[in-house]
Amino acid sequence: MVDLGFKTLIHDKTRFTITVAGVAFAVTLVLAQVGLFFGLLDNSTISIRKSSADLWITSHNTANVDFPQQFSETYVERVRSVPGVARADNLILTYMSVSLPSGATENTVVYALKDFKTWNLPWSIKEGQVEDLRRGRFFMLDEGAANRFGSFKTGDFREVQETRLRIVGQTREAQSFTTNPISFMDYDLAQSMQSDYLNGRTSYVLVKLAPGADVESVRHEIQRRLPYNDVFTRDEWAKKSHDYWVVSTGLGMNSYLTVFLGCLVGVVVVAQTLYTSTMEHIKEFGTVKAIGGSNSDIYLILARQASIAAAAGFTIGLLFALGLVPLASKVHLKLIMPGPFIAMVAIGTLIMCLSASLLSFRKVANIDPSLVFRT
Amino acid sequence: MTILKGDSIFKSFQDGKIETQVLHGVSLDLARGEVVILEGPSGSGKTTLLQILGCIMSPTKGTIEINGRPVAASRSRELASIRKKNLGFVFQQFNLFPALTVLENVEYALNIKGIDGKEARRQAQGLVDAVELTNRANYLPRDLSGGQKQRVAIARAMAGKPPVILADEPTANLDTQVGAQILALFNDLAKRENRGLLIVTHDPKVRTIADRVIQIRDGFIHAA
Ligand SMILES: Nc1ncnc2c1ncn2[C@@H]1O[C@H](COP(=O)(O)OP(=O)(O)O)[C@@H](O)[C@H]1O
Ligand SMILES: [Mg+2]
Repeated sequence: MVDLGFKTLIHDKTRFTITVAGVAFAVTLVLAQVGLFFGLLDNSTISIRKSSADLWITSHNTANVDFPQQFSETYVERVRSVPGVARADNLILTYMSVSLPSGATENTVVYALKDFKTWNLPWSIKEGQVEDLRRGRFFMLDEGAANRFGSFKTGDFREVQETRLRIVGQTREAQSFTTNPISFMDYDLAQSMQSDYLNGRTSYVLVKLAPGADVESVRHEIQRRLPYNDVFTRDEWAKKSHDYWVVSTGLGMNSYLTVFLGCLVGVVVVAQTLYTSTMEHIKEFGTVKAIGGSNSDIYLILARQASIAAAAGFTIGLLFALGLVPLASKVHLKLIMPGPFIAMVAIGTLIMCLSASLLSFRKVANIDPSLVFRT
Repeated sequence: MTILKGDSIFKSFQDGKIETQVLHGVSLDLARGEVVILEGPSGSGKTTLLQILGCIMSPTKGTIEINGRPVAASRSRELASIRKKNLGFVFQQFNLFPALTVLENVEYALNIKGIDGKEARRQAQGLVDAVELTNRANYLPRDLSGGQKQRVAIARAMAGKPPVILADEPTANLDTQVGAQILALFNDLAKRENRGLLIVTHDPKVRTIADRVIQIRDGFIHAA
């Protein structure tokens, strides 16, 4: 079959370019916007997923990892004596103010432990030794902090909670959904810096199970000994933190709205250019009808044009979005586009373009072939 | 043998409250291998009659028979199917597909008529050869002269071997000499392939190839 739809579409190169650009724009918008959201969501659970803790003990009804409430640090002893627990340690998560050279003040999320190595925190180190944290008034800061805190070097000093601390190293990928940069410091140092609030208190207890221990029975026993705390497996705790941001804050809704608006832009552009092009070629559609073509012959032409616009626009849009990934990571933003999500956008683009072509089809289906005899 | 027959055809157009009566009981027939010229001044109802005979529009009153069968249908889908099997059209303005080459213009018409693939390509090539455009087969319409365009249109009208070819003012946009060549080609193809050919025109030079000339004036037929 002669591909009238395709040939007519590319015959007018300017219009073809506009159509494809419109689709590509919508695709890039959706991929980048949702990809950034997925990237942020990834931050909301990254410390949970990267740490080697099998169980997280939190104070009752803690909403997500970034919003801890403190409880007695002595509870860890009760946990350590539970059969099946290989190791249990306190983890403090707190917010401290940092005075910047510019005079401004920003907050950092502090993860404080006695033994970082055991818990695989921090999980990626760019510079420095995590063992040094115990040796003085030191802390490590994530490289992503440069966005908020201005540029800094290992060896610099910063005023944290009115205390001069030296930056002894830098980490990678340690970002919080709250967008506050993450830093790491010694457990005792953190307690002494916020003593009225943290003395004798911890935010979490991290638990590593002994080999072969049954998760459910260990969890049950811990829960029995600590009735006023919650005990989560790593996956449950990650899901809880993740869902808090998606559901409770309405950010998920916001993201759906972006997708919807992106699709709307795409549909409008495609419908508009396809419709204008159809109107310009109305005499040709009349000719198809005059020589005996049916409405399905006509729809085939329009659907073909819409699918080509969808395929070309999606490909270019995807390439654009993929091109944004390294640019985003330069400013420490993550663009995450999982395969199933990309596939959904591809299918969505096709559906969007085909529905846009229905507008043209309605018009052409009703034209009178006698228009080809008019001069 | 009569292939196309129109009997007592009336047509009026309703334009708001005003009703214009365009055809007043016109009868006309066409046989296989016959070339009939329908002559008349501008506005006399020629194009309207051609569209009714060509199943593009329905008459207000009167009957059409193609190949001995009455055209009872009035639904656009059934009319399209009758056109597909029985009719080929040549238009005053050529109406070629600008994005398709000469060969593809003919091949696409074959596709519409249900002939596909290699066979369509072969038949299209044969038709392009028959209208002497072999060395222009891969040209786009914009690179052709008016006469060449009309040759493509004739090849396209022949696609699928319809028994009836209807042409509306096929020489009106061509200069005299080119018009004469086109008419010779038309005549040749109609006779050789035994098609019925009805040419509508207000150009008296077209009568040179006619087996029969019919005059129409203000919607009435006058035998010539
Ligand atoms: N769709 C229509 N609606 C109203 N009037 C029409 C329509 N088509 C043709 N007419 C009128 O019918 C008359 C004959 O038109 P037409 O058949 O095109 O004549 P010709 O082809 O002989 O020049 C003209 O007066 C024209 O204005
Ligand atoms: Mg006319």
